[in-house]
Amino acid sequence: MVAPSKPITQDLTERFPGAVSKDTRPGYEGYIVSANKLTEVATAIRDEYGYEYLASVTGVDYIADGKLEVVYHASKMSGGASLNFKVQAPRDGEPEIPSLVGVWQGADFQEREVYDLYGLRFSGHPDLRRILMWEEFEGWPMRKDWKEVYYEQDAKPFKTRWPEGSVYRIEEKNRFNKNVRYPKGFDPRSFKSDGDEKLYALMRGEHLPEHQRINTDEIIVNMGPQHPSTHGVFRVVVKLDGESVVDLKPVMGYLHRNHEKIGERNTWLMNMPYTDRLDYLSGMGNNHGYALAVEKLIGSKVPERAEYLRVLMVELNRIANHLWAIGFLINDLGAFQTPMLYLAKQRELILDIFEATAGSRMMCNYMRFGGVVRDLPSRIRDEDTLDFITDLVAERLPAALDEIETLLTFNEIIRTRSIGVGVLPAKQAINGSAAGPLLRASGVPYDLRRADPYSIYDRLDFKVCTRPNGDVYDRYLVRIDEMRESIKILKQVLRDMPASGAIMDGESKYTHKVPNGESYGRVENPKGELGYYVVSNGAPNPYRYHVRAPSFINLTMLGDLCKGHKVADIVVILGSIDIVLGEVDR
Amino acid sequence: MNEVTVIIIDAAIKAAVMALVLLTGFAYMTYAERKVIAGIQVRRGPNRIGPLGLLQPAADGVKLFLKEDMMPTGADKLMFNLAPIITSIPALVIMAVIPVAPDWIVNGYTVRFVVADLNVGVLYLLAIGSIAVYGIVLAGWASDSKYSMMGGLRSTAQVISYELAFGLSMVGPMLLAQSMSLRDIVHAQEARGIWFMFLQPIGFLLFFITGLAELNRAPFDMPEAEQELTAGYFTEYSSMRFGMFFMAEYIKMIAVSGMVVTLYMGGYLGPFVNQFPPLGIAYFSAKVFFLLFTMIWIRGTLPRLRYDQLMSFGWKFALPVAMLNVLATAIVLVYVM
Amino acid sequence: MSTEILTTQYLPIAVTFIIATALCAFIVWASGNLGPKRNTDKKLMPYESGMTPIGGANRRIPVRYYLIAVLFILFDIEVIFFLPWAIALLQNGTSFAQFALAEMLIFTITLVVGYIYVWKRGALNWE
Repeated sequence: MVAPSKPITQDLTERFPGAVSKDTRPGYEGYIVSANKLTEVATAIRDEYGYEYLASVTGVDYIADGKLEVVYHASKMSGGASLNFKVQAPRDGEPEIPSLVGVWQGADFQEREVYDLYGLRFSGHPDLRRILMWEEFEGWPMRKDWKEVYYEQDAKPFKTRWPEGSVYRIEEKNRFNKNVRYPKGFDPRSFKSDGDEKLYALMRGEHLPEHQRINTDEIIVNMGPQHPSTHGVFRVVVKLDGESVVDLKPVMGYLHRNHEKIGERNTWLMNMPYTDRLDYLSGMGNNHGYALAVEKLIGSKVPERAEYLRVLMVELNRIANHLWAIGFLINDLGAFQTPMLYLAKQRELILDIFEATAGSRMMCNYMRFGGVVRDLPSRIRDEDTLDFITDLVAERLPAALDEIETLLTFNEIIRTRSIGVGVLPAKQAINGSAAGPLLRASGVPYDLRRADPYSIYDRLDFKVCTRPNGDVYDRYLVRIDEMRESIKILKQVLRDMPASGAIMDGESKYTHKVPNGESYGRVENPKGELGYYVVSNGAPNPYRYHVRAPSFINLTMLGDLCKGHKVADIVVILGSIDIVLGEVDR
Repeated sequence: MNEVTVIIIDAAIKAAVMALVLLTGFAYMTYAERKVIAGIQVRRGPNRIGPLGLLQPAADGVKLFLKEDMMPTGADKLMFNLAPIITSIPALVIMAVIPVAPDWIVNGYTVRFVVADLNVGVLYLLAIGSIAVYGIVLAGWASDSKYSMMGGLRSTAQVISYELAFGLSMVGPMLLAQSMSLRDIVHAQEARGIWFMFLQPIGFLLFFITGLAELNRAPFDMPEAEQELTAGYFTEYSSMRFGMFFMAEYIKMIAVSGMVVTLYMGGYLGPFVNQFPPLGIAYFSAKVFFLLFTMIWIRGTLPRLRYDQLMSFGWKFALPVAMLNVLATAIVLVYVM
Repeated sequence: MSTEILTTQYLPIAVTFIIATALCAFIVWASGNLGPKRNTDKKLMPYESGMTPIGGANRRIPVRYYLIAVLFILFDIEVIFFLPWAIALLQNGTSFAQFALAEMLIFTITLVVGYIYVWKRGALNWE
């Protein structure tokens, strides 16, 4: 990741004639790279073109062309649009393309996900196992010809239910009910997964040759899925030597619901409430990212007031999320809930605003393509809405932040437990596709609101908060700084927001005509870069709907962060990454 | 009736009363802890069962007794059953040597507000106090579960590490009182007219802090660190056998508070206590309540130390400071006073 | 030890112990017999966050714990010496007190030398 001595302006197609060609399909952009040159091209993209950051890796199944496509999005840390390049492989047989883990560590989990869902192998991947599904799972769920249990139809609205609207249990009626069957001699109660055994063998070093194994009495422990402090059904397998962590592997997928497959069945608009359930602590941000991705395809123009409302909600949501994240982090440090409940007090007020405006506290479903669904109500809690929000933003939240700072920031125990713990060097943070506070605490000033401004962020005055050390304490401080910046943004929003005006681009519609093409919409969610890669083929449903989940990708580095630390630090480091399982497992 | 029978009956009554008081104390400690922490956290705490939720401990007790009692398949049956007993007995008997009021002469009969006034009372406290760790390590070992095992090991190492500073910080009052009997130590504070906590501030603080560590209370509640070890050494326990570990912890909280009060805070001393001795019980309880409240307060506000930090605090700070404190006290006593 | 001390001081302790033991045994018995018993294999599996445990729990313990135990024994002896010394210090006249104090200082210095050695060798660090 040496910065290029002189910026290369030469087009990729000229740099690698024959191996790289422009993607010329209508509505598509970027390059198509031939599989055998992929590693070389990727290294050049990273080192020579300066795209040091691999934002997203995902697959698309073009069943009509008989092709699987892997789409990569790379970004420059200095900002600007992302570079999009693709690799294609035949669908049939055992498709295989080179792995990019050697170039970007951040490709690790994402390639495993593509392998898991599409059955596309990545040669040279150090640990290519299923990641969201279990090892014995048959089939590749995201392929277009894979049908789920109780499958009805390819796309909603299902003819069986609409327009008549009859209600029945789907398992009674569908012709795929034979899809629910076990192989001969299979007893689900005595089933034991090989996947675990594979993982344990890996942890024991059984893949190493005999002379390289060290014969010690290390102990392998499962933390999770049923564990009080893994923030949900998340599991890490830890190899311990006494109290010290020797090796750690995250295991996820316990909350997997194939969000993306559901997304492809839904119509474009129907996906909006589903995005709330990804990172359920910051539903507004999830809405925003998806709306941006689809708006890029539709080309709608969001009215001024709607933009301000969006930013208002998203920034309030950022504060709510960070309050929660800090509360849980201190909880993970062993404080008995007290800081968390103090912070929750403020968060409740923010949720009151969401409830009054969108109708729900967490599952807001507030944004639409081309605007927002409702304007601010006139009163909240018997107060004028704007007064309520202004009071919250100008008085209560800053006071709450000052309180946190006095109570927690210089607390001796918090400092001794978090300073120097889980250090993520800047170089690795970029290479490992860390995002959000995790990246910025390592001293990398990369914030999409500045790097690739969307909505009205280019007009707002705020600074990108960074801290130099990349440890747990710095991540905590970055979150506090970000809340202060959010308050600054909110004050500007309240000052500049047009008092009235349209909140939707045109009429609000149930179905949208989305032109052919692909689009990658990304926002700076509280947890990091949240990206939606959507592909449209002109149908009322997305052809491909992928979520680049920051929580999921941030976990790539968990093992490296924890190695050498104590058992108690695992929990703290995990807490400082701030994951939400709805987003990790999707 | 011969003398021995009288002693036995006398002791049995006192011991039964003490056990009753301690068990009630345990039940209402859990209630108080939940209420106080709820107050700290801007919540209400238990308020459903009985007025102000006052019957909550009874409901919890009944519930615990009626829960299914399980033992993991790989567990060592004898040890698994024995561990909660070994943990609870010391908690119940440790208070036996602590006087809660001065002697009271009623109709020529002397009522002693202590089960047994041992001439080596301090030694008894130390000895009985360290038995409980066997229960903890056995519970961890007998469960055949990794979390329990780690919790048990942590606890053992922690308790024995703090045992040193804990023991050494008891030496200060002994030097000042020139006796190991707790009654004599209280009398010495009365004679000097000042509580030892003011003569021995370092010793007092160390004793309280290491006491917290001995108790496995926050911020030293490492063995049961919920965040990493789920419940620590009693992960595998259920029903009232699980409750017994809690019982031991809370009763030991009361006992350690009683020890701090006796050694450093003048025990039952207070105005008019010699005129009407039962008043001593009130003074003693008030001081104990204050310390218990402080313990809950600490739990409600402080995060937890990490294990290695806890160990180095015990070995690298508490131990040398306690040792220096004892020597400095002795030098002052011999050469200055 | 005279019989009188035994009866007046230790007999009550013994009685307390018996009562406490009886109480604890009763609690364990009651909790074992009052609740329902609906055991299944999975329920009786040792807890490992919902997964089937890998290997047993009773295996070799890291050596660090033994080190702590050995150090504890070494330093606990010191504490034991402090206790009788503390109550005897001032009861036998000034010259005895000065002598006893000097003795204890010498004893402590030797211990401190050991303590510094142990510290420098890193035995007190928890890696």
